[in-house]
Amino acid sequence: MSENPVRQQFADTMLEVGRDDPNLIVMVGDISHFILQPFAEACPGRYYNVGICEPTIISMAAGLSKMGFYPVVHTIAPFIIERGFEQIKLDFCYQQLGGNLVTVGSVFDYSNLGCTHHCYGDFALLKTLPGAEITYPASPVEFDTLFRQAYRSGLLTLFRIPAHPHSHGFSPDDIRFGEGIKIADGSNLTIVVTGPQLSNAVAAWDALGDMGWSADIVYIHTIRPLDTDLIRASVLKTRRVLVVEEHMQSGGLGDDVLRTTRDIPDVQYSSLSIPDTFVTEYASYEGHCERLGLSRDGILDRVKADFGVGHALQRKGLG
Amino acid sequence: MDKDLRKKVVQMVFAGKDGHIPSSFSIVEILKVLYEHCLRFDAQNPEWPDRDYFILSKGHGCVALYVILHKHGFLTDQDIDLFCKPGGILGEHPDCTKVPGIEASTGSLGHGFPFAMGIALGLRLRRMANKVYALIGDGECNEGAIWETALVAANLNLGNLCCIVDNNGSAATILPVHPLKPKWEAFGWETQEINGHSESEIRAAFGRLSFSWEGKPKVIIANTLKGKGVPMLEGHGPWHHRIPDEQELEIIMEALS
Repeated sequence: MSENPVRQQFADTMLEVGRDDPNLIVMVGDISHFILQPFAEACPGRYYNVGICEPTIISMAAGLSKMGFYPVVHTIAPFIIERGFEQIKLDFCYQQLGGNLVTVGSVFDYSNLGCTHHCYGDFALLKTLPGAEITYPASPVEFDTLFRQAYRSGLLTLFRIPAHPHSHGFSPDDIRFGEGIKIADGSNLTIVVTGPQLSNAVAAWDALGDMGWSADIVYIHTIRPLDTDLIRASVLKTRRVLVVEEHMQSGGLGDDVLRTTRDIPDVQYSSLSIPDTFVTEYASYEGHCERLGLSRDGILDRVKADFGVGHALQRKGLG
Repeated sequence: MDKDLRKKVVQMVFAGKDGHIPSSFSIVEILKVLYEHCLRFDAQNPEWPDRDYFILSKGHGCVALYVILHKHGFLTDQDIDLFCKPGGILGEHPDCTKVPGIEASTGSLGHGFPFAMGIALGLRLRRMANKVYALIGDGECNEGAIWETALVAANLNLGNLCCIVDNNGSAATILPVHPLKPKWEAFGWETQEINGHSESEIRAAFGRLSFSWEGKPKVIIANTLKGKGVPMLEGHGPWHHRIPDEQELEIIMEALS
């Protein structure tokens, strides 16, 4: 049993999907080995703790994909995305083979392990690969639903698992691959948020109201393909957008929001993300977030600093 | 030594103004024997499910493979004429998204071999008897992924996978990997070492292989010479990626006549 509920859901989903689909194969680099044993026992011959050789695991998984299997490669984010990047690019994406990457160690979840175990540029890297899909399922139901919807897409799909899920409750019916979710309706501010930071965005909503801001909260679990329609509709209404994400500023969701809204006149833009520097201090995940302003108060401070005081016109309430 | 196939390699490179002649020359006999005597394929149906799989992991030797694929009907005269030209499907590295008979897009060394291992594992899981061959270079053996794959394939007991090392001397001038035979044996592979330009030795080596779903993976270390057949081209030197001019073309063709 994993202490991380999304990671545990990953293991549970592999078991359930694997029982029904004989083409699902799970390959790990000596991580999550024990929680995947139910899958290994239920699906003999389809679970491989290959070894600590991530590039080779990825190339090998692409070979299995060529043979009609749906491979899932799972280990710590930087070892897949950064070390194995060329294998992802050439063996999956260029050869037009489908596969699934399930990473743990999102951003700085392995906080005190330092930069070797951090990964906050994965969206940016994968966005350079034509056809690559990127998801950030930050609650168990999101992982289960998005995986079932996307694992046979025929494309390379990333499932970035955070160690600290958000606290918002979704039902499976709320989750559709490639579609954002409107969490709250407002009138003069859009908060586009992804990952665990949804909790902070929701927590800030009342206080923003007291500051005169009536905020749309748009939650994004699929970074690519991005629900540009939902984002544009909101920003067309509010003309102000704050993007909150646990990713480097360069190449993150914020860049996509800017591109998506570039032709809308008079839009004010701000973002809360990780500066384009290494996170070198030792701290807990919460400590890193606090220092970087990725918190309820950080959201309030950034709105005040960049947008000033608002004049709320409508507040329809949290959805 | 097959001079006619080498001439065709040189003609393609001269016409296309690109290509790696010496790296192609070192694998001519290996490919010739593979396609004439070992591989099951249907050139009219390259995706035939019962085919054997050949992956040229050292993708820069692809002109030799193109010549062989043309000989066996995968490629047309026009495909060959348009090598490295607009509108063509043949580039300086093999591309499985364009070229019939090419199983993997290679060029970046160290990718094709683990990819082939995945195919071999997939075939075993499907209980299919197709064989998998991957051809790597000795220079490519500098790549860590080659030895990762050697470890993993032996650990998985992939008896339906055969690796051929084109031991053409490239690595010796860069980062030596010799002796190769004891290394592969230490990694748990069934190992043979042959003269990679002797068609009879190559054929005999392939004939000794016993493919199975469970068993030691096999490696054939084929001792070859880069640029074999034309003294001016031989060895790991300036001809690695050089295109002959008209005068040099004459010298090469004369040496192959």
